[in-house]
Amino acid sequence: MKKYLVAYSIALQETLQRRSTLLMDRLGGFAIVVSLYSFWNALLGDKPSFLGYTRSEMLTYVLLINVLRSFVFTGRGWQLVGEISSGRISSYLVRPISYHGYSLALDMAQKTVHAVSAFLEVALLAWLISGGIFLPRDPATWALFAAAAVLSSLVFFFLEMLVSSLAFWTSESGGPLFCFELFLQFAAGAFFPLDVLPEGIQRLLSATPFPYMVFFPARIFLDKVPHPEALRLLAVELAWLAAVVFAALGLWRQGVQSYAAEGG
Amino acid sequence: MAPAIETKGLTKDYRSPVKEPGLWGGIRSLVNRRYKDIRAVNDVSLRIEEGELVGFLGANGAGKTTTLKMLSGLLTPTAGEALALGHVPWRREAAFQKKLSLVMGQRSQLWWELPAYETFRLNQAIYGIAEADFKMHLDELVDLLDLGEHLSVPVKKLSLGERMRAELAAALLHGPRLLLLDEPTIGLDVVMQKKVREFVKAYNQRHGATIMLTSHNMTDVVALCKRVIVIERGRILYDGALDRLVESYADHKILRVRFSTPVTASDLRTLGSVVHCEGESATLEVPRANVSASAAALLRSYPVADLNVEEVAIDDIVRRLFSHS
Ligand SMILES: Nc1ncnc2c1ncn2[C@@H]1O[C@H](COP(=O)(O)OP(=O)(O)OP(=O)(O)O)[C@@H](O)[C@H]1O
Ligand SMILES: [Mg+2]
Repeated sequence: MKKYLVAYSIALQETLQRRSTLLMDRLGGFAIVVSLYSFWNALLGDKPSFLGYTRSEMLTYVLLINVLRSFVFTGRGWQLVGEISSGRISSYLVRPISYHGYSLALDMAQKTVHAVSAFLEVALLAWLISGGIFLPRDPATWALFAAAAVLSSLVFFFLEMLVSSLAFWTSESGGPLFCFELFLQFAAGAFFPLDVLPEGIQRLLSATPFPYMVFFPARIFLDKVPHPEALRLLAVELAWLAAVVFAALGLWRQGVQSYAAEGG
Repeated sequence: MAPAIETKGLTKDYRSPVKEPGLWGGIRSLVNRRYKDIRAVNDVSLRIEEGELVGFLGANGAGKTTTLKMLSGLLTPTAGEALALGHVPWRREAAFQKKLSLVMGQRSQLWWELPAYETFRLNQAIYGIAEADFKMHLDELVDLLDLGEHLSVPVKKLSLGERMRAELAAALLHGPRLLLLDEPTIGLDVVMQKKVREFVKAYNQRHGATIMLTSHNMTDVVALCKRVIVIERGRILYDGALDRLVESYADHKILRVRFSTPVTASDLRTLGSVVHCEGESATLEVPRANVSASAAALLRSYPVADLNVEEVAIDDIVRRLFSHS
């Protein structure tokens, strides 16, 4: 266990060391928030609500996206693809360490830094638009939201590991990962709340793990989900997590075997 | 005593997809991929005792790296068996990995943005090295490798030679019993090469670790290895004392001379066979037994500015060995 803590602390140092990369990342995320914000603001116009979202709920949703994006969507997929295709993966395979545990520790470090800065950004924005955002009163809502966010970030991490492991077989696995990330952001609700979509598509999406990653946590935060229902959502997400972990580790084992057989 | 490494009939085929030319070929190969097998290592049986320092030689593509990858557990062989420190390497058991280190000259395990010391700390945790052992090993490595002030500088700011030495330290902190070095001196200048060599030798003597090393640099091999294994197209061609290999196959040495005034090739013919002669510099091949006589004659009869006696390049010896068999 200690090795993963040390990996976490080293990665934390490294993330802070690369200030310019961090700054660019943050600016990119911020730009998305600002454009989403202006977009919804324009759509809302003078109307008090739109598609079931009041102005303050919609603004809160947009800001939540910024926080969740930072906390959930920071996987290690691209690193894994790079390490497989460059052969650097070897240096982990000869050391007594679990690649997933190690990567997760590094990811946690990224998440820590990004979540903290996202929180500060949102606080700044909320202050700028003075009081227009929705904050839940019930501490239980906060707790449920936090639990959902943590589960989502784990689901995302292992999904990325799953998709990136394809790099063991093809040299073009950057493509699948890119498509996957784009589709995922849409399907998770990271561009807009999913309930603005037609009923049929919504039903289809809710059979996947994606809405559990941004949309449901955000709805929990907005107090649009009764708590028993929120608990049920968490249970389903936990099941998804188990399935994704199982699949990711299974594919990984296959991948390492084929790497060892074919000599990456 | 059980050997450190023992292999029987170790064989590795690489299977790579045949790329068909053109767009149509590309589409066809997506549907019906054809493969070509390349036998990189062919029926290699060897036995290395604990504490030996063995040089592993061969031309480019001979199968050296592939063999080291199998012995470190990165590759599973197509056929054959191997035991390293009593383990089957490709099972990748933690107990084995804690006693092993694989260093590839062109690869780095150091964290680029941070001082090497941070990677050392990480490896301490990964290998579960007790604090006292860590301090002791680190002190020794810093001393032997002359690392001192380089440990607190971000790795990306180190020179290649400094980084390579930090790399070695990172790989040895856990005191591996088996060390596989793939071209540890590649890209280093002569002074750095020497430093790394001396280090490897000292490490082997102090700790009795078994070391297997590949290099295209004959000086490395001569300075370090009593025993060499030569591999050619995946097969073992020679396994035995280095002395015997060099004496029987490199029957001459190279004299590299720089004169202070130009000399013509015909003047030098009596001293050895002239490989190259242009203006003020010349290269001669001289039979081993005549080296000192020829050198003395050169110094006596010509205005010599600089004179070097070198071993024949290992690749030449290997090529000669190949044509002998
Ligand atoms: N991943 C791979 N896929 C297919 N063929 C490979 C792969 N790796 C190596 N080979 C082939 O296997 C043979 C042996 O390669 P290997 O890397 O073991 O040689 P080497 O002795 O280390 O050579 P060098 O001195 O150039 O490092 C070569 O013909 C090489 O082209
Ligand atoms: Mg090689």
